[in-house]
Amino acid sequence: MNRPDFRRPYTVALIVPTGVGAAIGGYAGDALPVARALAQVADCVITHPNVMNGASLYWPLPNALYVEGYGLDQFASGYWGLRPVHQNRIGLLFDQAIEPELRQRHLQAADAARATLGLSLTDYVVTDAPLDVALQTAQSGATWGTIGNPGSLLRGAEQLIKTAGAEAIAVVARFPDDVDSDALHNYRQGQGVDPLAGAEAVISHLIVRTFQIPCAHAPALAPLALDPTISPKSAAEELGHTFLPCVLVGLSRAPQFIVGAGLRPTDVGSSQVDALIVPESACGGSAVLSLSQTRTRIIAVADNLTRMQVPPAALGIDAITVSSYLEAIGSLVAHRAGLDPLALRAQVLPLSAARSETIGRSAVFPTPIFV
Amino acid sequence: VKTQLIIVEIPLQPVALLHAAVLARLRQSGEPLRWAITRVDGPVVQVEAIVTVGAAL
Repeated sequence: MNRPDFRRPYTVALIVPTGVGAAIGGYAGDALPVARALAQVADCVITHPNVMNGASLYWPLPNALYVEGYGLDQFASGYWGLRPVHQNRIGLLFDQAIEPELRQRHLQAADAARATLGLSLTDYVVTDAPLDVALQTAQSGATWGTIGNPGSLLRGAEQLIKTAGAEAIAVVARFPDDVDSDALHNYRQGQGVDPLAGAEAVISHLIVRTFQIPCAHAPALAPLALDPTISPKSAAEELGHTFLPCVLVGLSRAPQFIVGAGLRPTDVGSSQVDALIVPESACGGSAVLSLSQTRTRIIAVADNLTRMQVPPAALGIDAITVSSYLEAIGSLVAHRAGLDPLALRAQVLPLSAARSETIGRSAVFPTPIFV
Repeated sequence: VKTQLIIVEIPLQPVALLHAAVLARLRQSGEPLRWAITRVDGPVVQVEAIVTVGAAL
């Protein structure tokens, strides 16, 4: 006879902001091993394309939800819910600026995903004008980007949704080849900040904000010359002509967004997030601020350095700081098991009388069970 | 419609109020699309953001 299990699913959000030079996750899908490990100790992992996308490399995780960054922020704010799906029909949107041969390479990747992986795609659409992507680096060192023709991007997405019946959008935009050579060299060496990442996020954010539909982006670039010194952390982007396969795989099962409607029992809302794992220096994003105001345990990873300078203490965020993702996983296991992590240390201090002033929620009192 | 990178500073305040304060400040320049607090300098936080200006479709 099966014994009843009254524990609810343990849900973890993993965020590695894109375009901030994260030592782990700032390159070509190099935070994917972290997601794979988390998926072994959590019932549900909520993460985003920057973590899961490794160009031609990917690893579908049945208990992971692939959520674009704008949608993830809305989810964390409690405005949107996530509805898991068995399959999405993906619409492919090409920037008109992509040269015919390069577009053909991407179409072949899409056809391969249909024939070899069995993914469902609609007919594709080409934007009615070049998107005119421009790359920028701000004074923090983070990369950003602007789109010269966002209206064209959105009209193309609308056509895919309304005419072709797309349930998720994969965008391929032509990115400048004349990226600052030092930035590109450093990126390929596994150092510095991804020069394309900020603009990629802007493209997908625009579509998700407008249509509330899963979206991810792959840049179209001319092939680079062979470099035998490439870092393993960046090597996934040296494998082929496109970065599209991981995007199609992720979108094929990305959860749909639930906006302004009640959640079903199988949907996921922000109140179900038990823990959020984020680089310690990058706690200034929307999702972190939102979840810091809930019962979610914030776990800040010190050795995933970024160009940001916003540790949790600087904003008054109540967080547990750990040295590494390995330690973060241990913290999750203890949390899930209902253990105080302090009980796993060599010394356990005796209880003392509570002070009368306000104290942090995680420090002394056990978390209430029924809220 | 256009997308625009802006950098603004706002006073540091309790974290429960900070999110709304960032959005309110960014909306003076457009509709926030992507943003992050990138630095805390004493009583001031610096925010980098992409905002959209105008109707998109």
